[in-house]
Amino acid sequence: MEVTRMSSTASRTYLDQFPAEAKVIKAAFWSSFMALAIGGLLGLVQALHRTDVLRFIDSADYYTVLTAHGILLAITFTIFFLVGIFTWAVTTSLDRGVVDIRFTWAWYIMMVVGTILVGVSILGGVVDAIPMYADVLFTFYAPLQAHPAFYVGLVLFVVGSWLAGADWFRTWWAWRKENPDERIPLPTFMALTTTLFWYLCTLGVALSILVFLLPWSLGIVDSVNPLLTRTLFWYFGHAVVYFWLMPAYMMWYIMLPKLSGGKLFSDPLARVVFVLFLLLSTPVGIHHQYLDPGIAEGYKFIAMTNTMFLLLPSLLTAFTVVASMEHGARQRGGTGYLGWLKALPWRDPVFTGMALAGLMFAAAGFSGMINAGMNINYLVHNSWWVVGHFHLTVGTAVALTFMAAAYWFIPQVTGKELWSRQLALGQVLVWFVGMTFMSNAMHRAGLFGMPRRTAEPQYQGFNFDPAVGTVGEINAQVALGAVLLTVALAMFLLNMVLTSFNDDSDSLPANTYAGTLSGPEDSPAVLDNLKLWTAIAVVLVIVGYTLPLASIVESGGLFGPDIGGFQLAIETDPALVLESVREVMP
Amino acid sequence: MASATEQRETDQVREIGHEEYDPVGTAILIGIYFLILVLLWLFMYFVEFLGNGPTVVGALLTVVGLA
Amino acid sequence: MNIHKYEKAWLVAAMVLIVGFIATITYGAVGPGIAMIDDDAGSIDPNEISDHERFGETGVEHLGGNEYEVDVVAQAWSYSPSEIEVPAGSEVTFYVTSRDVTHSFTVVGTNVNTMVVPGQISEMTVKFDEPGEYGILCNEYCGQGHHTMEGLLTVVPEDEFDLTELSTDAPREVEAGNETTINATVNNGMQDGLETTATLEIGEQQYERDVTIDGEGSAELTFDVDTDALGAGEHDWTLTVDDHEESGTLSVVSETDGGDTNE
Repeated sequence: MEVTRMSSTASRTYLDQFPAEAKVIKAAFWSSFMALAIGGLLGLVQALHRTDVLRFIDSADYYTVLTAHGILLAITFTIFFLVGIFTWAVTTSLDRGVVDIRFTWAWYIMMVVGTILVGVSILGGVVDAIPMYADVLFTFYAPLQAHPAFYVGLVLFVVGSWLAGADWFRTWWAWRKENPDERIPLPTFMALTTTLFWYLCTLGVALSILVFLLPWSLGIVDSVNPLLTRTLFWYFGHAVVYFWLMPAYMMWYIMLPKLSGGKLFSDPLARVVFVLFLLLSTPVGIHHQYLDPGIAEGYKFIAMTNTMFLLLPSLLTAFTVVASMEHGARQRGGTGYLGWLKALPWRDPVFTGMALAGLMFAAAGFSGMINAGMNINYLVHNSWWVVGHFHLTVGTAVALTFMAAAYWFIPQVTGKELWSRQLALGQVLVWFVGMTFMSNAMHRAGLFGMPRRTAEPQYQGFNFDPAVGTVGEINAQVALGAVLLTVALAMFLLNMVLTSFNDDSDSLPANTYAGTLSGPEDSPAVLDNLKLWTAIAVVLVIVGYTLPLASIVESGGLFGPDIGGFQLAIETDPALVLESVREVMP
Repeated sequence: MASATEQRETDQVREIGHEEYDPVGTAILIGIYFLILVLLWLFMYFVEFLGNGPTVVGALLTVVGLA
Repeated sequence: MNIHKYEKAWLVAAMVLIVGFIATITYGAVGPGIAMIDDDAGSIDPNEISDHERFGETGVEHLGGNEYEVDVVAQAWSYSPSEIEVPAGSEVTFYVTSRDVTHSFTVVGTNVNTMVVPGQISEMTVKFDEPGEYGILCNEYCGQGHHTMEGLLTVVPEDEFDLTELSTDAPREVEAGNETTINATVNNGMQDGLETTATLEIGEQQYERDVTIDGEGSAELTFDVDTDALGAGEHDWTLTVDDHEESGTLSVVSETDGGDTNE
């Protein structure tokens, strides 16, 4: 991908422009890659264990592995990469550095400390020397109870991400003083709207942890209301998936058109899309609770309606991004109704990785539409279908986009040339093929009732009865897919490590992103009124959540009916554990 | 306008402006996607879901039956 | 705003899709009458489950007609009861709650699936038209033994189903020549009356009694056994009421060798 710039100042990499920021971004990316490496490897352990291909851990320890896999990949990997990309996006598009780099390092370090606390407490599940327990999975549903360090770590991590958001806002405010009449550049607009709904949604999980779970794990309060903390988790739990997804969307909007050789089809629609995510990401969380008792059907229906309308920004994105790619292909000489597809730069791993990630997201969109459907959840809820779904979304749309982006970003922030473009191209293809096997088999298995989150989906009293294919064939596909994904992961990490040993290069492309066919001047200025959109988002959350939360508190009490914590280990008789826990928490 | 936006690609053989560009290929692809979504949705809801044996029904039906 | 005409068309198509999805779900609720798990069954204190009117005694209960109630308590890592039997053609309302952490009650290969959250009661009504056998599993992580949590739901043909319980009370040993009795209690768990025959077979002998029990009633049966006719020795006996059987062994000892008889 040879990119030249007409402007004289910008034949420079990000490292040349912002050396101090580049260091933080590099650190954030490597934190992200380490989480990806560990979490991904644990994924292979799980896939082989579940499918009974290779079991070398005890089934009781499977859940420790699963907790680590979920937290490291869904939270650590994604959010560290996000803070790196957003810092890049804000500084690049505003063409100014952060206000105070010490503040930037402070939030990064806070997030690292949080991750380490959470990681060590999870490790306590398999290492006897660590007297901690956090086998609670990434949803940490009470009354399963983790060590306080687990909750404290999560809080530190989230607060670190809040400060990162504050950093981007400060940078934007400083820029606005210098450029009072300009529209917010699109990448900054995307980072800021995403940050706003992150603030809004994390309030729920912060409340859940700080008011209920942490005091309860410390023994300050005796009891929790499990439905309340669960609802507060999902208040955050769906918006978080959009939080991971938004950096990928940003890449598709501002990098893919450039990589394709064209321009973004419509800047105004991109802004509309991000505003819709700000408005609708949070008041939809109850769609994860369609099968929960204690929540009236009407609230579930409202959540469904909001969720379905949240399809709109994604469907619009599909059009805008593909049209931008087509624009590039035609500028590169592509012709015909579909013949232009051949003119796309398929040999460029950054382009191909992102394009394949987008294609898989189209498939994920479909299973997501099913998940959004209220009563059809009786079929798919908590089945392996759901796992297939989010391995397409966070596991491919996000992860593959991030890995492809890293092939461009790591040279930008290190000044070193990518070690091997061929290996990178092979890597994105192997990931795509591996995920095709694994995810399609998981979806199908869910339809005949194979559950998620289980070490041994083999039961004594009954067998699963697939309408098409066999359980063995599905397991084989999942195991094969997981092996391919692990190979792809190793290829990625190898390329990253060897790149960082490369010599400094002065032939790197400049730090640029895509121009636009229809620019911000075509959109009404009200789109940039972040206060207005935030206010409406808050109102929608109040409308969507006040009544369900009130009814949950009314029926179960704010702190529940004397529900103590459980740490259910297989060595002990559960009844005894129950008693001992009751003793600890009278 | 920010200065960092991309201006030109070396592989570019022609410049296509906003007015002269109709994303007809995109319209075709997205049309195909629309059809796939509709057909798969109908299949999933009416065959996979409603055909999947006993389903939770409301007590409402009984009440109506007695009334 | 300057939106291309194709993109406007796609916007309309996307809205049609969204409205179509919501309409389909609404059809499912109104047409086939699919209802969501909701808050109708109320909340419960998990510490009071054993004294609760519904969950103090778990299992299948007949409500009248073709309606049944099944009360289930989920706990790490089992269901009480773990095996459930209901008749085909029935309308069954499940009430499920948890004694400890969050579980699910999921009937494999069907659309019967609910979360079981401690403090809450899940209620769902299901029509079982055809006989069949279904696994039950927990699909929410509930501790290290989560994967062992399972149960079985059997839908039996209507004419093979009852809620009859049979228990017996019989002596182990009796002296030859003495009168003895084998007593049985038959409980009818159905709301409808039960008319059937109880049969006792012992040795070569066979006794029959006609039994008539009201709904939710029970009957005491007494069978006088002629030990002379049986003669000395071990005699296996079987008491049968419909499909239910109780059996035992009666020793008839003669007076002369009966030093250890102490009845």
